[in-house]
Amino acid sequence: MPPSREWFDDACALRRFGLALVRDDRFVFDDIAAAALVDKLLRQASLTLIEGPCEARRAAGVRAFAQFIRLYRRYARRLVAEDDGAWVEPPPCGRACGSAAIVVRSLPIELRETLLLVVLAGFTHREAAAALDVPLTAVVERLARARARLSVQIGAVRDAATRWPQSAHLRVVK
Amino acid sequence: MTGRADPAETLAEALAYVDNCLDAPARRAFETRLGGDAELRREVAQWQAQNREIRCAFGAPARDPLDLGRASNENGVRRFSEATRRPETVSRQFGHAGALRSPTQPAPDWRRDAPGAILRGAIALLTLSVALLVAAPPEFGPRPPAALLAAGLAAAHDLAPLPVEFSADDPVLARRLGPRLTLAPPTPRGLHLLGVRLVPGVQAAAALYVYQDAGGERATLMVEPLDEIGPAPARRGAIGTLTAIAWTGAGYGFVAAAAQPDDLAALSDAAALER
Repeated sequence: MPPSREWFDDACALRRFGLALVRDDRFVFDDIAAAALVDKLLRQASLTLIEGPCEARRAAGVRAFAQFIRLYRRYARRLVAEDDGAWVEPPPCGRACGSAAIVVRSLPIELRETLLLVVLAGFTHREAAAALDVPLTAVVERLARARARLSVQIGAVRDAATRWPQSAHLRVVK
Repeated sequence: MTGRADPAETLAEALAYVDNCLDAPARRAFETRLGGDAELRREVAQWQAQNREIRCAFGAPARDPLDLGRASNENGVRRFSEATRRPETVSRQFGHAGALRSPTQPAPDWRRDAPGAILRGAIALLTLSVALLVAAPPEFGPRPPAALLAAGLAAAHDLAPLPVEFSADDPVLARRLGPRLTLAPPTPRGLHLLGVRLVPGVQAAAALYVYQDAGGERATLMVEPLDEIGPAPARRGAIGTLTAIAWTGAGYGFVAAAAQPDDLAALSDAAALER
């Protein structure tokens, strides 16, 4: 049976979320692995869901996102243990595509995952708290911190992008 | 109600408003408060702009900027029914909350004001029509694909550097794009297909085929099924170094975009010849 439209939407949303959240390319190293991971997480999350109501489908979505976050954190913890506590999340890689994307990917992991769950995945604050396994107040506090940093840093990135290059006068004109 | 509201509570409420986590009454109450607090209004507008930028940056489908609520039919129906049930307390956009009529105020007598109102309405309608005709005169014949070009350029500029949603070797690639986009992707010379991404088009969802040349430069071809079938003159545009050409034909709209002129020529030739 071909996958349903809802399944397709959830898979796209989870994939977008994963691309925005994960900075370390070793976690999911290519498109095929990413597709397999998303497919497996959605299947696991919807095992108990057989043509259920809309709320049950949404709860399954929260479970899939929560499982993705747990997997990435577990991966990070394992690297910390292997590197004797020296692992830090690598800096954002890939081609920059807009100041908002650059700034979001440079946020610390706890702020990034909260912000992306709410803004990109479209979950409510309660659902994000359930997915992250933290109280609602923590979600609000993280969102406030993330948005404050975004406000400052997006402006800084834009200023840097529009500034006249300092080395322009060094060009050799024949 | 004495004194000012708790700042932490206000912050939580503002964040919930921006992220569409408030129910209808709380939303209306917050919008009323927004009307009287310019600083809070500015902050909320900034957060809403952040939300739009983040969704756009990571390729999420855009929501209607006028619909501040969650984009669900159920919510829309509920709001419509609430609005029709209580016309005096319909929530308005920011800054207009003071203009609402209180429930104790008597309703205006429409029968007495009817001739004046009709005359004013007719004058307003006439003025609006003249303004529209002056601003955008109607065009006869096929419409140039300006909107298509803008959508294709924006998609190529924002989304081409990102990883594709469906890889080229996906065996059910055509089926994943839906019945209106079951097309064999064009095969331009010197470019190989990386994959496809679904993007918002002018009228419907469009497929963005992402190609790469030997030098690692990406080129894209956006294909959108159009309801209005008919060839139109091609249109050219650019954002920075990215150049694009848009044309329509065979029931589809096409936008080829690339930074290299050779890639653009190969892509447009292949798409035009294979259709």
